[in-house]
Amino acid sequence: MQRIYIHPLPVRVWHWTNAVTCVMLVLTGVQIRYVGLINVVPFRIAVAVHNWLGVVLIANFFVWFFYYLFTDRIRVYLPELNPVTFFQGIMRQSIYYGYGIFKGAPNPFHVSIYRKFNPLQAITYQVVMLLLLPIQGFTGILLWNLTRFAGVVAALGGVRVIDTVHVLIFIVFAFYIPFHAYLGTLGHTVTDHYKAMFTGYEELEEGESSDGAE
Amino acid sequence: MRRRPFVMGAIGAAVAAIVLGVAGMTAPASAAAPSAADQQCLACHGMAGLEMPLAGGGTLPLHIQGDAFAQSVHSAIGCTGCHADINPTSHPAAVKPIASKSEFSIAMVQVCRNCHTGQFEQWDKSVHAALAREGNAAAPLCTTCHSPHAVMKGVAEAMDTIPCKTCHADIFTAYAASVHGVMRSSGVTAAPLCFGCHGAHDVSVPSAGAGRRDVCLGCHTEAPASHRTWLPNAELHFDVVSCPVCHTPQAQRVVDLVLYNSATQKETARPVGIPEFESLTGSSASARPGLDPTTLMTLLKTLNSQGVEGKTSIRGRLEVRTGVEDHELVAASKAISNCNTCHQEGAAAFQSVVVSVAGPSGMPIRYGASKDVLSSAISVQSIGGFYAIGGTRITFLDVLFVLALLGGIGGPIAHLTARWFFKRYLNHTPQEQRKG
Repeated sequence: MQRIYIHPLPVRVWHWTNAVTCVMLVLTGVQIRYVGLINVVPFRIAVAVHNWLGVVLIANFFVWFFYYLFTDRIRVYLPELNPVTFFQGIMRQSIYYGYGIFKGAPNPFHVSIYRKFNPLQAITYQVVMLLLLPIQGFTGILLWNLTRFAGVVAALGGVRVIDTVHVLIFIVFAFYIPFHAYLGTLGHTVTDHYKAMFTGYEELEEGESSDGAE
Repeated sequence: MRRRPFVMGAIGAAVAAIVLGVAGMTAPASAAAPSAADQQCLACHGMAGLEMPLAGGGTLPLHIQGDAFAQSVHSAIGCTGCHADINPTSHPAAVKPIASKSEFSIAMVQVCRNCHTGQFEQWDKSVHAALAREGNAAAPLCTTCHSPHAVMKGVAEAMDTIPCKTCHADIFTAYAASVHGVMRSSGVTAAPLCFGCHGAHDVSVPSAGAGRRDVCLGCHTEAPASHRTWLPNAELHFDVVSCPVCHTPQAQRVVDLVLYNSATQKETARPVGIPEFESLTGSSASARPGLDPTTLMTLLKTLNSQGVEGKTSIRGRLEVRTGVEDHELVAASKAISNCNTCHQEGAAAFQSVVVSVAGPSGMPIRYGASKDVLSSAISVQSIGGFYAIGGTRITFLDVLFVLALLGGIGGPIAHLTARWFFKRYLNHTPQEQRKG
């Protein structure tokens, strides 16, 4: 069976750090927001842990950002600029997940070193990494010390507006994380994508070929 | 007691003056004895029950206790030191008519000012003076707090004689039982008495803006640093949570949504001609539900309509409900330090909401508001400046969160189930597809 090295070490370290941090942030966020209803960790500790996890997430974001910025791997995040190709790809992948997969149809997307995300993944990760995560980090920093950033907070409409944006993105992540974990099981076997995220190598099905395959 | 008419009293006093004058010449002079000139006045004014009719009805007591006056700090300047308008040769016949006690007291304020210029200027800027200018008959003037004919050093600085408690009896009772009052009673002079926080003459409205916080931090300078060691966003708590909210654990709390004008940098004065305000009473205790989220949003839009100078926004603060509760402070060790007290749904702190504007004297006027304004999505912009995690969370976002969880977990489960179903009953697998 052929395999292809698509997840370099920095990406794997970033990914698992990001995954653990995001899950912990959602859990501590739930504890902070629903104290009284959920009492696993004292409020004050949940806030302190949430703040430190936020620091880790932001630092880790820059690991991702600078890694891709200064390597040719950035090509995996380059958007498809042809709208026809873009929507065709989205539709093809959506039809596969929504219909073809049940009939046993093959995955229309084939991974390669510089094209490791299917069209749905690509658009999702672009939104998550370039829009949602930066906004979440920014609003998190404001909420961390509202007095220090009082001018910015006031200019953006006040603490309630900032918090509402922060919570809305938290809700998106609460939806996205379990879905992401599930979609990770839709490889050739249930554990293929997970193994690849540890070893760096994605295994290819017989007959499937790709640039850079070993 | 039957009161003596003014003219009869004056005649009687003249006779008494002669008798007393002779007695004065023969008796040894006492250190606390009034001067000869003052004794001449006291000949009449020393008689109990002496009074004069007022033009507006009622009477003005004219009786002065000679001994008390002699011992007072004012005895040094004598009667004419303040009553320079009295001509002893034509008095009392030439006394000008006085309309009312308050008119007389207001006139005498100007006399006090001659010597106590600094105190007068402080008083003139105080909430007491503002109330007096409003025509509030209960507003204290100089003589309300300082009995002018018995002014003694330290009287206004002792717990049992401080004049504030005459009008603010219930607040003083709460203070006396508080950590401050108990310490002061036991001789700790560093513990504040009324003037320690409110000023002696420049009495301000401590509940306005950051006044209360600044007053507390004036003595408790270490408080910001000590709170930072355990309280997340400590500075923010100082800004939006009044100190007594945590330091009077038994008090009822209220969210005070203050209308604030960016042009004047002050609390907005009571809006005139806005139906939302016209229909409300000025009492937070009103049984009415008060301003709802939609009305509050409309109100702000109206206040910020075109042509109005400055932007009106809402600054929220968590306060205790009454001035009495403000003074029931406990020792720091007994203060609330459990975050859950406020940061959870249904917290008592967020069950009562008022919208307040500045009254003419600076005292806030409070209007009742529905507690729904704190949890409504409509209020995101209206009360953008006030939010307590957990305690005032927006209900709509909770619904979205539940739906997201159901979708995020339920979606994969449904997809997985469908895959299993197709594989199990329709025998559709990728391998078979390829074989076919």
